[in-house]
Formats: sequence, structure tokens, C-alpha cells
Amino acid sequence: MSNKHLFLKAGLINTPLQNGVGRYVCQLQRVVLKFCKNNGSSRGMRDFIESELVNYAKENPGVVVYLKPRRHRTAVIKAEYLNGDAQWISCRNFTQEEISKWMNLLKTQSNNNTGTRLKKLWHTDHPSIQGPWTPYTFRDPKLNLVEFPNTEWSQPADMTNTSQDDLVELFKKQKIEELNKNRAK
Amino acid sequence: MGQLNEKIKVFYEKTKKGHNLEMACLVRQIFSKLIQTRQLTNPKLLSSALVPQSLVSASHKLYSNAPTPYEIVDPDSQKKIQKDIIDKVNSQIENKQEGRLFAVVHVAGKQFKITDGDVIVIEGYWPPTAGDRITLDKVLLAGGVDFTLIGQPVVQKGLVRVEATVIEKTLSHTKTHFKKKRRKQYMRINFYRIPQTFLRINSIQIVGEVNNPPEVRGLETAIF
Repeated sequence: MSNKHLFLKAGLINTPLQNGVGRYVCQLQRVVLKFCKNNGSSRGMRDFIESELVNYAKENPGVVVYLKPRRHRTAVIKAEYLNGDAQWISCRNFTQEEISKWMNLLKTQSNNNTGTRLKKLWHTDHPSIQGPWTPYTFRDPKLNLVEFPNTEWSQPADMTNTSQDDLVELFKKQKIEELNKNRAK
Repeated sequence: MGQLNEKIKVFYEKTKKGHNLEMACLVRQIFSKLIQTRQLTNPKLLSSALVPQSLVSASHKLYSNAPTPYEIVDPDSQKKIQKDIIDKVNSQIENKQEGRLFAVVHVAGKQFKITDGDVIVIEGYWPPTAGDRITLDKVLLAGGVDFTLIGQPVVQKGLVRVEATVIEKTLSHTKTHFKKKRRKQYMRINFYRIPQTFLRINSIQIVGEVNNPPEVRGLETAIF
């Protein structure tokens, strides 16, 4: 079993240059497609170059696309980002669709984040707007003037009556009823 | 009152003379009561010492929540308070004094507490691509420093406008899915990466008036 992911570098969300606050800037700067003109393992890459590459370059005027034919070697995509990261993908025996999918992914990524695990799915500069919760939020301001030790405030808030209390109450009620009866007489 | 007192006094003395003890006792009781009531009704005495002798008996108050007759209960007081609060919120929004707003939105099965400038990550397949500007419509809660609008379960549609930009679509780190059964010669290992979409929250605004819903609702998304 591979425990590699347990030892990955853990990181937080890090977006370059406040991307998207004003407008979105594509972070991919350069793509190099390396392939062999003869070898079968580069076939999908050659198909991609023939049919889709021109459109890809047209759709993304901000991305420089290089082609690098080299004899008898595996097809490879190398991507370079605005922050200096470089990403290298081996495309041995990839189909045309697979390659176009990877090219699309590279276009929408902002750095080479393979090998970093996100700790949180949320980043904020303003963690609390109404103020963080404290034990005194939403409490009775009377508490400020209470002097401790204090029996009333030291009790649990949801204290229920004991059976003895109930009995005492019943007794008192009875007494009052008797008193009322006497008065009525 | 004075005349009555004198009459009773006279009667009292008469009965005393006549050795009618029972009668005398009764009269004495009446007399003492009369004095008490006089003391209670005398404003000078009232103000000094006799007040705490419980003019109104509190005994029945222990067992009933019914308002005692002298309590004035305004049935509209609660409504007035509500209206005051809502008016305050509306005036804040109108004068743009609400400050920084936050919202709890429901996106792709998860809830996020967001404010302007936040980045959230949505996991799993989600169609919007990088550069898309979208609005998050499922707002469960929105609030400022002084107020909070709580949805039941969603805040009135169109009242809170949350705008966001998709800034990145990537894959997560490689996760390992490992299964093993003991003593059964069974072991499987799979590796997978989850698609992730990074969203930048551009703005959270309250559009229009709070507590003033349109007469016809539920047709915002209907197509005729």
C-alpha cells in the first residue's frame, strides 16, 4: 500500500495575485508538446496536433504553444505557469481525447499543485463579521453586576424540580386553597 | 368616617358594659380592621412604612401566567418592535451603511460561509469553467454587522445577490483507496483525484427591501 498521500505537503488555498477579484487572468503561459513523428506511443498526440491544436491556440491567445518533435521518445506535455511552476505530463499511448482533456486541465489550472494536499476548502481574510462567539454573547447583561459566589447563577440552567420541591409546592397550594375557603366563609 | 367611628366606639363601650363578651370580641375585630384600612387609605402612612405589607397578594401569581388585571398588555407591541427593527435594516441598506455582508450559500451539496473576496473550493464534477462569472442563488443566510436575514430554508429569491468568479479548475492530490480482507488473499488498491473548482466571491449585496416580498412568488425561474 502506498502511504505517499499521508506524507504530502499540506497547504492552504493560495491564489496568485488576487486572481478573479477584478477579472480572471489565465495563469498558463507556455505549453510544449513533445512527440515522435513515427512512434506509435505518440499517435494520439499527433492526432491532437493535426485536428485540435490550431483551435486550442486560437481560443487561448495568452498561451504560447510550442511543438517539439524528437525521434523515438515518449510523448510529453510540459506546461509553464505565470508563477514559475512547471508541470510535466507523460502522454505515452494517450488517445487524442485524453490529450485534449489534459490540455484543458492545464489551461484552467494556476500552478502545479500535484503533491500538495489542501487543508481547507475555504479561504477568507475576514473570518468574522459579527464578532467571534464568546461565552458572554447572547447572555443577560445582568450577569455583569452579579457577585460570585452566587447560588442562582451557579446552578445549571435547565434544573428541573425535584420531587421534594413538587411536594412542597403541592402543600403550599393546598394551604392557600384552605385559606381561600376560610376567607369565603 | 369619623362619625361612624364614634358610633362604633359608643357601641363598643355599651357592649363592654353589658358584659356581652362574644359580641365585644367581634366588635373589636371589626374595629381593628377598620383602623387598618384607614391606615392603608391614609396617604401619609402609605408613603412611609406600611407599603410592603403586600397590598396585592402575590400568592396566586405563583401558579398562573394569566396577566393580573392591573397589567396593561398591548397586543401590537411585538409587531411594533418587529417593524422598528425591519425599518432600521431597510434604512441601513438604503443609505449603504450596512458594511461588510456575509452569507451562507449552498453550492454543490456543501454549505459555505462567505464574504467579499473569499475563495471556496467545490469538489466533484461541476460544469462552470475558469473565467465564468456566476451568481450563487441558494442563499441560506445573509447578514451584516447589525442584522441577520435567516432563510426558511432559503432567503427570498433575488433579495441577496452573491456574485462569484471561477478562477481555477484542478484536480486534488492523489488519494489512495486501499481494500484488504484478512486471510482471504484479497487486496485492491486504487488511486484517484477529485476535480476541484476554485470560486472567488466578488460581491454580496442586498437588492431591494427586506420583508417586502413580491405578491406573486415562485415564478422567477418558470418559463412560459
